[in-house]
Amino acid sequence: MQQFKKWGFALLCMLVQPALAATIDVQLHYVGPTEGSVWLGMQQGLDEANLQGEFLGQKYTLKPVTVDELNHLDSVTAVLLASDADQVLEIAKSERFADVPIFNLTSDADKLRSACLPNLLNISASQKMKQDALAQWMKKHPESTAHAQGWHKDFKKFAASQLNIRFTKAHGVIMDDDSWAGWAAVKLLSDTVARTQNDDATIMLKYLKNDIAFDGQKGEGATFRKTGQLRQLVLLVENNKLVAEAPLRGVKGGLDSLGLKSCN
Amino acid sequence: MKLKQLLVSSFILVSATAWAEPSYRLFVTNEKSNSVSVIDSRTGEVETTLDIGDRPRGIGLSPDHKTLYVALSEENAIGMVDVATLEMIGKLEAGEDPETFDVHPNGNLYLSNEDDAKATVINPSTGKIIEEIRVGLEPEGVAVSPDGSIVLVTSESTNMVHVIDTAQHKVVANILVAARPRGLAFNSDGSRAYVSSEIGNEIAIIDTKTFTIIKKVVVDVPKSKPMAIKLSPDDKTLYMTLGRAAKVVVMDAESLDIKTTVDVGKRVWGEEISRDGSRIYTANGVSNTVSVVDTESNKSIMEIEVGKGPWGLVIDD
Repeated sequence: MQQFKKWGFALLCMLVQPALAATIDVQLHYVGPTEGSVWLGMQQGLDEANLQGEFLGQKYTLKPVTVDELNHLDSVTAVLLASDADQVLEIAKSERFADVPIFNLTSDADKLRSACLPNLLNISASQKMKQDALAQWMKKHPESTAHAQGWHKDFKKFAASQLNIRFTKAHGVIMDDDSWAGWAAVKLLSDTVARTQNDDATIMLKYLKNDIAFDGQKGEGATFRKTGQLRQLVLLVENNKLVAEAPLRGVKGGLDSLGLKSCN
Repeated sequence: MKLKQLLVSSFILVSATAWAEPSYRLFVTNEKSNSVSVIDSRTGEVETTLDIGDRPRGIGLSPDHKTLYVALSEENAIGMVDVATLEMIGKLEAGEDPETFDVHPNGNLYLSNEDDAKATVINPSTGKIIEEIRVGLEPEGVAVSPDGSIVLVTSESTNMVHVIDTAQHKVVANILVAARPRGLAFNSDGSRAYVSSEIGNEIAIIDTKTFTIIKKVVVDVPKSKPMAIKLSPDDKTLYMTLGRAAKVVVMDAESLDIKTTVDVGKRVWGEEISRDGSRIYTANGVSNTVSVVDTESNKSIMEIEVGKGPWGLVIDD
């Protein structure tokens, strides 16, 4: 009986394994610097995506390319960009990438949000989000010299401290806005592939825009606005100390009190 | 004289193998005051507070209920306390950042190492780490099946429930669930497991024969962040703490329909149920209290002040 149970278990494991055996290889393309914050953030995201992939059957690689190389690739799953706003706009508007998720990692330019492009996903907080966050804070603390940013090394809530700890442990530097955005973009993609079991660009884009509830380790499951902006809280920092999170308590509209809410 | 000695030693021999009489003590870890509150569950009085060590979180009892185990996250250790005398017995090495654990029927501890993406198996009688098993990021909840054949571990930042076969100490299946899975609970015959997802705001039922999700629902309670799960002794009712919602949700364990919610303290995480199922105890991390819920009326009947940042609790009843 014991023997039978053992075999039954082994058989079950064999039944479960095939799902893992068919590994999906996902190649992501990236235009931007191959050192510094955003690069390290993406490396952290890749390590985490591949750890999950070990268990669920995905393998992720990130290939740095030039814009010219990008424009001559046969197939593209997703494009990550750490470049200036004009270049981001140009790539996102290109006909050949109309159904490909294009991630803007580092530019906070409002015009990338107000453009309302269906394939452009803005990961970091926009200028207007930061301005609105600061305005909410200044209303209550008019004398404050605080500024707004997306991430902070002392951010602890929502398991942010675990992310700060493991990032610094792996790379020897603190996590900042750009490294968070790089990390988040790769994790958004790996979340999408794991849940859809697919790396087709069109399916991924649809899932990202409509279905994802992403754990960015900064609170609520994060979703995208129609503007392509990732909803998220913004931090207020004074003298390098974290003083508040926006939206501030009592402000109507929740996360949508920050930045451009919708497309006209 | 000799006879008396013989009697005493034989008494010790007997008591060493038999179950201890229930002390009815409820033990609560206070994460931010490095202590364990000891409450008489019959009266709600805090009997004493034990200085336990740095950042106590997960808490549990040995199968014979004689030893209390407490995960000391910042000491990389498990503290051991004699349940009857409340004396510290010693500490076990537990790997980096032990967060929570469950005790196997054979006495071994299965624990999650939050900052190290692994589960560790400790034999407390030898004090040795038997095995380290690689799992996903930020492992959190751990539950040993009633027959001890499998252990489930949630990985919060990679959104999985890992199934570990205890005979070979290998991960044999992985189940993708909603974002930030936290708590786990088996039903009494081990045929089902329940898993909560904090950010996904979901609870799912896993069939432990096929390791697939057979039902899941979004928890329709404002501000809900699902955490710990306990089942009534008859397996029919499920009680889940909801973090920032400051409530326990009471659900039908089959349909996952909400029967009612019970108001408890702020940022409620840890949860315990009395053996007879008549009381639920919750650790309210921001209120610094323990709520006592009567499961007949589904009302909180008492709020007991404990240390700072109460995290987990276990009852010896």
